[in-house]
Amino acid sequence: MIETATQSVITGTMMGIIYALIALGLSIIFGVMNVVNFAHGDFVMLAMYLSFTVGTLFAWDAVITPVITVPLLFVFGLITYYLLIDRTLRQMYVVQLAVTVGLQILMRSAALIIWQAQPRALQYSFIQGNIEIGPYSILTSRLVGAVVSLIFIGGIAYFLNKTWSGKAMRAASDDLDVASLMGVNYHRTYALTFAIGAALTAVAGGLLMSFQQTDPQGGVRFGLLSWCVLALAGLGSLPGLIVSGIIVGIAETFAISFIDPRARLLAVYAIFILVLWLRPRGLFGRK
Amino acid sequence: MNSKRLLNQRNLLMLAALILAALVPLAFRSDQYAMILMTTVLIYAVLATAWNIIGGMAGQLDLAMGAYLGLGAFTAGTLLIRWSITPWIGMFLGGLVSMLFAMLIGFPLFGFKIKELWYALTSSALVTVMQVIFLMWNGVGGPTEVYLPTRISPLYSLRFNTYMPYYYILLVLLVVVIIFNNRIRYSKLGYSLLALGEDEDAVEVLGVNSQASKLKALMIYAFVCGIVGGLYACIYGYLHPSFFSTNMSTEIAILGIVGGLGITYGPLLAAVLLVSFREYLRASLGGGMEGLYLAVYAVILILIALFQPRGLAPLVNSGYRKLQTFFGELRHGKPADVESH
Repeated sequence: MIETATQSVITGTMMGIIYALIALGLSIIFGVMNVVNFAHGDFVMLAMYLSFTVGTLFAWDAVITPVITVPLLFVFGLITYYLLIDRTLRQMYVVQLAVTVGLQILMRSAALIIWQAQPRALQYSFIQGNIEIGPYSILTSRLVGAVVSLIFIGGIAYFLNKTWSGKAMRAASDDLDVASLMGVNYHRTYALTFAIGAALTAVAGGLLMSFQQTDPQGGVRFGLLSWCVLALAGLGSLPGLIVSGIIVGIAETFAISFIDPRARLLAVYAIFILVLWLRPRGLFGRK
Repeated sequence: MNSKRLLNQRNLLMLAALILAALVPLAFRSDQYAMILMTTVLIYAVLATAWNIIGGMAGQLDLAMGAYLGLGAFTAGTLLIRWSITPWIGMFLGGLVSMLFAMLIGFPLFGFKIKELWYALTSSALVTVMQVIFLMWNGVGGPTEVYLPTRISPLYSLRFNTYMPYYYILLVLLVVVIIFNNRIRYSKLGYSLLALGEDEDAVEVLGVNSQASKLKALMIYAFVCGIVGGLYACIYGYLHPSFFSTNMSTEIAILGIVGGLGITYGPLLAAVLLVSFREYLRASLGGGMEGLYLAVYAVILILIALFQPRGLAPLVNSGYRKLQTFFGELRHGKPADVESH
C-alpha cells in the first residue's frame, strides 16, 4: 500500500513535469495574448504524430525527433497566428472559441487523413528500461522526459526574464498600450508567443512518443490536462506551474493505481472543478 | 417589435417553412439516404435551437450537450431494456434525469460564479467525464454496445424500420422548442437572461437573481437534450458510451455561434445549412479519404467565424430586409417600413 503510493508519487511527479511543459505553452499564449486556444491539446497530438513520422522516416529515436519537429511546430504556430488568431484578437472570446474549435476539427481530420485512425507508436526508445532503487523503480523514459522538460522550462524562464523579446512579451501581458508606446510591435510579439507555445508542444510530443502512442482523438486528454494545470497554477509563476503539473500528475497516477486506469481523467477533472470553485485565480496566480 | 402579433410576416414565413418541412419526406419516402440525412439535420436543429437558450440568451457557452444527451439516451434505453417501459415515457424521464443532473452541476458552477471561458472548459470536460463513468459502469453495458429490443411492437418500443416517424417526432419537437424559445425570449426570464449576458453585475444590482435565471435556462436546455437523447437511442437502436461525444457537443455550440448568438432562427439556420452541407460532403468525398469532408467543413466553420463574427442570421436578415425594401419600393414607390428584429 505504502509502496504503491510512493511509487505513484515518483511516477506522477515525473509525468507531472512533462504536463507542466505542455501547460507552459498554453500559459504563455493565454497569459500574454489573452487568447483562448481550445486546440492546444491537438497541437500536442500533431506534435506526437510528427514525431512518429520523423522517427520512422529517419529511424530516429523519439527523444531526438524534436530537433526537426520543434521548427515545424514553430512555423505552424506562426502560420496559425497570422492566418487565424491575429484576426480574432479584437473579437469576443466566443469567436476565438469558434475559430480554435474549427482548428481543432481541422487538425483532427487532417491527422485522420494523413495517419489514419489506428493508434501509432514508435519502436522502443533507447531510454526504455528502469532504474531500481530499493523496492521502487524509476522508468528511464519518464526520468529523461522530466529532466528535459525542466531544462526547457528553465530556458523559457531565462528567455522571459533576460532577453528583449521575452521582456516585450511580459510587458505586452501587463499592459499592451504602454508596451506599444515603448516600441513593442505587438503583432510580432504575439506571433512569437504563439509560435513558442506551439513549439513547446513539439518538445513534449517527442518525449511522450518515447513511451506512448497517439491517435487522432489524443488531443482531448492533453487539452483538459493543460487547462487543469493552468487553472491550478494561475498565471505568471513558472515554479507554480511545475508544482501544479506535479500535483495533477500525482493525482492521475493515484487514480490509475488505486481506482482504475480509466479513472485518470476523473481525478484531473475533480481537481479542475475544485480549484475553480475554491480558488479561481489558482494557487500561485499573480492576477 | 410586433412579434406579439400572431400572423406577422415572420410567423407566416415560418409556417410556410414548416409545411414545406412536413411535406418534403413524402417526396423522398423511398430514398433511405435522404431520410437519414433529413433526420440527422433535424436532430442538430433541435439541439442547436435549444442551445440558444443557454448559449445565446444567457451567454453561457455550454459545451456539455453530449452529457445531457447521453444521460437521456441511457435512461430511456435502460428503462426499455430492463423494465420494458416504452420510450414514449422513457424519453421524458430521460429529459428529467438530464435536467436534475444539470441542476446538480449548474447550481455550484453558477453559485461560484464560474463563467465564460472556465464555464466552457468545465462543461466540455464534463462530457468526457460522463463518458469515462459510463465506460466503467458495467451495469448499463460498460464498453459494450447494448441493443434495444425489437420484439415488442414498433410503436410501443419506438423502433421503426424507416426514418419517417422519427423525422416527424423530431419536427414536432423542433416546433415546440422554437415556440419555447420565443416564449422565453419575451418573458421576464428572457429579459434577465439577455441582460445578464451583457453585464452580469449590473443585472445583479437591479435585483435579478442571475444564478437562478442561468440555472433555469440550463435546466430547460438539458431537458430538451435528454428527450433528444431518448430518441437518439431509439434511432440508432443501441446504447454506447460514445453517445457522450465531445465532438458533437462542441459542434452544437459552434452551430449556435456561427448561426448568430441569441437569435432563435440563427442556430436553426446554421444547423440546416451546415449539417446538410457536411453530410453532402461526407457523401461526395467520404468514399475516397476518411476525414476529408470534416476538414473542408472545419475550414468553412473557421471562415464564417472569422468573416461573419456576428453569425449567419444577421447576414440573412439584412438580405431579407433588402429584398423587402426592394419589393416595397416596387409597390409603393418608397422604402417599406422595415421590421426590426
